[in-house]
Amino acid sequence: MRRPSAGAVVAYLALTVYAAVSLYPFAWMVSGAFKDRLEILEGGHLVPHRPTLATLADTWSRLHFFDYFLNSLKVTGLTVLGVLVIYSLAGYAFAMIDFPGRRFVFWFFVALLFVPSITVLLPLTILENKLDILGTHTGLILPFVNGTAPLAVLMLTNAFRAVPVDLHDAATADGAGELRIFCRVYLPLARPTLITIGVLTAVPTWNEYVLTRVSLNDESRYTLPLALEKLASGTVPSYNEIMAGSLILVVPVILLFLALQRYFVNGLSGAVKN
Amino acid sequence: MTATDTATIAARLVTEPRRTTRRGRNALVGYAFIAPAVLLFLAMGLYTLVYSFGLSFAKWNGFSPTWEWVGLDNYKDLLFADPRLAPEVRNAAVNTGIAMVAVSLGTVLIALPLATLLNSITRLRGLLRSVFFLPYVTAGIAVYYAWRYVLEPQGAVNLALRSVGLGSLSRPQGFLADPDTALPALVVIMIWGSVPVAMLLYLAGLQAIDPAVIEAASLDGAGPVRRLRHITWPLLVPITVAILLLGLRDTMQGFQIFLIMTNGGPGGHTDVLGLEAYQQAFLQSLSPTLGVASALGWLIFIAALLLAVVNARLLRSRQ
Repeated sequence: MRRPSAGAVVAYLALTVYAAVSLYPFAWMVSGAFKDRLEILEGGHLVPHRPTLATLADTWSRLHFFDYFLNSLKVTGLTVLGVLVIYSLAGYAFAMIDFPGRRFVFWFFVALLFVPSITVLLPLTILENKLDILGTHTGLILPFVNGTAPLAVLMLTNAFRAVPVDLHDAATADGAGELRIFCRVYLPLARPTLITIGVLTAVPTWNEYVLTRVSLNDESRYTLPLALEKLASGTVPSYNEIMAGSLILVVPVILLFLALQRYFVNGLSGAVKN
Repeated sequence: MTATDTATIAARLVTEPRRTTRRGRNALVGYAFIAPAVLLFLAMGLYTLVYSFGLSFAKWNGFSPTWEWVGLDNYKDLLFADPRLAPEVRNAAVNTGIAMVAVSLGTVLIALPLATLLNSITRLRGLLRSVFFLPYVTAGIAVYYAWRYVLEPQGAVNLALRSVGLGSLSRPQGFLADPDTALPALVVIMIWGSVPVAMLLYLAGLQAIDPAVIEAASLDGAGPVRRLRHITWPLLVPITVAILLLGLRDTMQGFQIFLIMTNGGPGGHTDVLGLEAYQQAFLQSLSPTLGVASALGWLIFIAALLLAVVNARLLRSRQ
């Protein structure tokens, strides 16, 4: 085996230091979640002296984090489903079908990328109030889906455009209609892009806090970020429970990322390579 | 004219009559495919945009039956006319500007060397890339609470500083309650969250460089510095521009971290424009500040648009 050069040693050292920086808050999150009410006040030490599962178990059941978890799962799942169905249809039309106004509508969707969410947050709550969906999960899902429109339209139109047009012609020659071609030929080929958009939608939806905070009142409908905030703003907020709740919120995101990062990372870096 | 050209034209002639009927049908199919997206946008997007624009010219508290139209007064109040509001907005604008510049530059200064190092190693590259990427996927309320926990007076950062003899740098009241360190602490956390994507984009850029080009340059006698200046760096400039603009845009529009970690405190030292608009819209109970909030939202929108124009210009001049 070759001895590593001095440059390589420095490189690994620097990279390890930044890896520690990346993991720093997670280390304390895990540490805090395994401390009890007394030990969390002592602070300072990373490895708990009396590690306990009681804090996590307590947060999960007594503080109803299981219910909030299910709410988050429902809102995130339906949002991702909506985004994938609605914008893959639209992306296919923009890429493959010739119709008047196609370019205009496409660029209109892309231009929405520049509207800051704070600009429309207030009228959105007023509108939802009128539609009687303010404070419901539907009232979260619809704007979340709509908010992903620019990114999803842009990425999916590109993905469908990258498919060789011969496939379309061949399928048409076989007598398949557009919907059939879309479902059977183009959708399977766009799978990496669909997964990328799925992750890029799921993660911010799972973490979403601002619209959820101004719209949800009924505690039984809370998603995890709101449940966490309620916990933190209690009369005696205890950081061990907050860290346990944070861990419950973060772990599914990390698992999703680790499971799908192959597609996801390639989808992001593909933008540079082309 | 080649044989294939003729064949194509012939084919086109043959299919011409069918095309006209197909075009009408195509349009219908096309509209059917985009209908869900367009309908959702008409319901959730267009109404809110138009409403918000109208409201920015009115005074309203959210409850009275009618708006009081005031023309451009809300914009004037925000920019200079209101003696209480205008300084607050100016302060928030300064903080936003500082954060925008610091986060964008900090991200590039950390991500570029990090990506170069990551590209130079052979082992553990995949594992390290995953670790570096975690902050991006997890950035949100949970991680902000974890940061708050370590930045507390009795938190890990203070204790670490004291234990290595840098006690003078520790903050007895915690980093977020100290006016001198609150904004820098938030900037560090925002950089921590935005390095992953920048690092990934740089890494992809570095890996797209053909090793044969570097090798040829080395054979021609170009040292590491010249190779960096004339080969690597020109290829990384467009990525750097994109990262800077992305950082500027995200920091300008985002305020969630400010809302969760400091809510603008201590004493307005971490107040930013997005947070100011949020407070005017949702935390003034019966005061007629909804129009002001809308106007501030549109000022942020205009700034975002200007940034986009600069973006397009920069990208075009590169080509």
